[in-house]
Amino acid sequence: MQQNDAQPTATGGENRRPQGRSWLRIQVENEGYQPPRGGVILLQVLVGIFFFVFVVRFWYLQVHLGAEFSRQAQENRLRQERIFAPRGRILDQGNRVLADNRTAYGLSLVREDCEDLPATLAQISAWSGIPLAHVQEKYQQDRFKVKPFEPLLMITDIDFDLVARIESEIHAWPGLEIVVRTKRSYPENELFAHVLGYVAEANEREMESDPALAMGDLVGKQGLEFKLEKDLRGSKGLYDVEVDAHARALGKTLREEPRGGAEMQLSLNRDLQRAAWNALNGEAGCVVVMEPDTGKLRALVTSPAYDNNLFAGGISRRDWEALRTSNRFPLQNRVIQSVYPPGSVWKLLMAAMFLERGVSPRDTVFCAGQVRLGNQIFRCWKKGGHGSMNMESSLIHSCDVYYYLMAERLGIDRIEQFARACGFGSPTGIDLPHEKSGLVPSKAWKKRRFKRPWVRGETFNVSIGQGYTLVTPVQMAVYVSAMLNGGDLLKPQLLENAPREVRGHVPARQETLDFVVNAMRKTAGAGTARVVGRKDADMGGKTGTAQVVKLKMAAGDRRLRSSEMEYAQRDHAWIATWGSKNGKRYVVIVMVEHGGGGSSVAGPVAKRVYEHLFGPDTGVPPPVQPLPRAAAGTAPGGAAAPALPAAGAGHG
Amino acid sequence: MDKRLFSHLNWGLLGCMFALYLVGVGNLYSASGTRLEAGLAFSDFYQRQLIWGLVGLCGMLAAMSFDYRRLRNMAWPFFLIVLVLLLLVPVAGKTVYGARRWLSLGFMSIQPSELAKLAVLVLGARLLARDGRPLGWKAFCSVLAVGLVPAGLILMQPDLGTTMLILLILGGMILFHGVRGYVIKTCLVAAPCAAAFMWFVGMHDYQRRRILTFLDPGNDPRGSGYHILQSRIAIGSGEIWGKGYGEGTQSQLRFLPERHSDFAVAVFGEEWGFVGCVALVTLFCLFLLSVFSTAVQAKDRFGSMLVVGVFFYFFWQIFINMGMVIGLMPVVGIPLPFISYGGSATLVNFTLLGIVLNVSMRRFMFKG
Repeated sequence: MQQNDAQPTATGGENRRPQGRSWLRIQVENEGYQPPRGGVILLQVLVGIFFFVFVVRFWYLQVHLGAEFSRQAQENRLRQERIFAPRGRILDQGNRVLADNRTAYGLSLVREDCEDLPATLAQISAWSGIPLAHVQEKYQQDRFKVKPFEPLLMITDIDFDLVARIESEIHAWPGLEIVVRTKRSYPENELFAHVLGYVAEANEREMESDPALAMGDLVGKQGLEFKLEKDLRGSKGLYDVEVDAHARALGKTLREEPRGGAEMQLSLNRDLQRAAWNALNGEAGCVVVMEPDTGKLRALVTSPAYDNNLFAGGISRRDWEALRTSNRFPLQNRVIQSVYPPGSVWKLLMAAMFLERGVSPRDTVFCAGQVRLGNQIFRCWKKGGHGSMNMESSLIHSCDVYYYLMAERLGIDRIEQFARACGFGSPTGIDLPHEKSGLVPSKAWKKRRFKRPWVRGETFNVSIGQGYTLVTPVQMAVYVSAMLNGGDLLKPQLLENAPREVRGHVPARQETLDFVVNAMRKTAGAGTARVVGRKDADMGGKTGTAQVVKLKMAAGDRRLRSSEMEYAQRDHAWIATWGSKNGKRYVVIVMVEHGGGGSSVAGPVAKRVYEHLFGPDTGVPPPVQPLPRAAAGTAPGGAAAPALPAAGAGHG
Repeated sequence: MDKRLFSHLNWGLLGCMFALYLVGVGNLYSASGTRLEAGLAFSDFYQRQLIWGLVGLCGMLAAMSFDYRRLRNMAWPFFLIVLVLLLLVPVAGKTVYGARRWLSLGFMSIQPSELAKLAVLVLGARLLARDGRPLGWKAFCSVLAVGLVPAGLILMQPDLGTTMLILLILGGMILFHGVRGYVIKTCLVAAPCAAAFMWFVGMHDYQRRRILTFLDPGNDPRGSGYHILQSRIAIGSGEIWGKGYGEGTQSQLRFLPERHSDFAVAVFGEEWGFVGCVALVTLFCLFLLSVFSTAVQAKDRFGSMLVVGVFFYFFWQIFINMGMVIGLMPVVGIPLPFISYGGSATLVNFTLLGIVLNVSMRRFMFKG
């Protein structure tokens, strides 16, 4: 049908193109083109239908129903108004308010109604004192977030005097409107900042993914505000507002009732939190207080912190930069988002593993202060050595050599397997965003990460919680709780009414758990953790001092004292403890970043937390059997490590 | 340009077009209120629409300046470029009102889906102009594929309105060209089955919800139902003679949402009444018929198909938008040509009519 050549015609001057440029060559058909008959009819019919249907419809609306619509237009005009639902409050264990709402006024602008936009923006600037350039910038940024007839929130949280002034002048500015919104406030400021997180105005992505959100709505961005968003938010209501021809409101009918968000009660206790915060005394670090039997957290302190009220009102760029770039990382929730080598606290896990893998608690190792492996020397923290050590004494005195040699016997694979089964290397499932997993190294991991095979010396390092091993403080709290509660790895709960949730089980017999608990008791009594020991309660503990820099790099063959080191090179100080008094049991984990020694720095913090929990040490020994399970069980090997009566804890 | 070409211009079409354009600007003037203050230059919709009209006029002249048959050779490259742009949108596009449709070029932003309408139109005309026989299976599928590929990409943005418009334009062109009876019969059976399959198997919940909202805006908590109610009150209260130009209370008192864009014709209906609306519908019909006559008179099949594509481009937009405003169609974000405010839409409208005029003035080219 097609001819490639243009027909040489009298009028076809344009068609005489050079033949070489094929894409420009014009294709022409026969001049006898006739449009398809069916198509011609189709188009005519479509136009006919269009005319007929629309004329009839306009007649129906404007003539038939015209009078009725006219009446509606004259008398009743409907406008819709949203009713904001208050966000659920957050309370502590004792029903004290941690996150509250207060009324705040804002000024919004409806683009389509605005007659003179530059002048209106200038007026907003004049009222609020915000420089005009900022107002314009805000407008440019946000104008595409809402449709032209929807309110665009220009300023939030206007103080009452200004509201009154704007109210009296606003009639001259069509398109502007004062809106009432609630604002979040956090009465405890920085104390619960990381737990609660904060709310801020929904961004484009959040509005896109959730149709219930409109511009200016607050959504949780961090912490529990983020995790519990669904429960806390509630749902908006809707008013139909009748307005007369002069735009005066005649009345409101409720179309949809607003539903306030649910109130949440946390398991955390404000006073305990405050006490732990004070005990840390500004050091960078964290404190976890957990109930080993329920998994409920009673305090979750991380320091330094930030004031989350800054975020609720829209944080300024300067404040944000200051927080973000601070070298003390105040935005970091150290309990779950920071990973540290656990140091000697890790020996609690190693000892349990040894027992499960057939190492007898009676087996002894001679500690001469160091072990040689090839041309490497692995030192014990005690330069002169501990002498002959069995499992229990190695825990009490935290002898490194015992663990080097025992771990060497069992190998890294078994350590990895056991540690993973105890919840290390994976998140605990706490209801807070961005929880870290930590790291349990293995041969396969090293191959993948460094493309090098595992070497034996690395097993030595792992055995004392150094090397590649990394844990979060909350993982340690879960593990120590499992020692006390019969081996259940519980999800750490932040809500008071949360059920006990078992996420795993320590693969160890009851005797093994009892042995570890008992060893901790003796460590608190007379060992390295005696700082937390007290006469009126059953206590247990294990300290850890995790090196940040390799020894060799720091100083030849001698360990440096903390005071001699730069802050960033100082050791992390750990203490993992439990305490029981009057039938109440708690696990307290303290981690002080670059604090130095576990017993000298982290220990006193834990001691002060217990002073809050149990009151000052009365010196009166508790009645027998405060710890039924631990006291009833016997350590494996019975005779070699007889279970002490609970009261014996006070003997150090 | 040949002087004789000028004498063949379709003056009727040109007249309808300018009449509609002036009605649109006048209506926008009323819809933006009656203020005209110094220092407000270009911030009012009707003024911007005037400027865009001039830009559109340039586009129209440009579209008339070359022989339209050259478009046939540009159909494929243009189509492929548009496809690349559409693929870029999910990667580099920016989000406006919850949908990712715009591509920023630095100095300006474009909506590749706008270009896709043109690309499908031109390429569809090229493919359909191969011969005059009704389409069999093979030809039908190949033409349909040209529409489905960009339509699928646009649906993901998501932009249901434009997706639908592209398929409707192409469908109209195919029907005009003619399809074998068995193809039509099969499609009539297969299409509902395919739709049902997509609904139950191929879609996520949120997609289903989106379509339900599209079909029944009363479901929409954000208030498309409110739009419909307000626009019906505005139009209905115009009654027979209207309230008079500039006297519409509904739009002046800001009850009518989107009165500059999608609901602009409601302002017109309120102020000019039934008489005005009939006049407007008549004007639109005359306009469509003069586009149609160009398609009939065209001297080759490609030109004819091109004009038919433009016909459907306008026809569906007019039909859907006015249908939406008077409550016959669901609320879709499709503007009314010439009446709704829209810079790039004005440019595209004028340019497309330039092509139609191009075809009409070259219709006697090959008389021997």
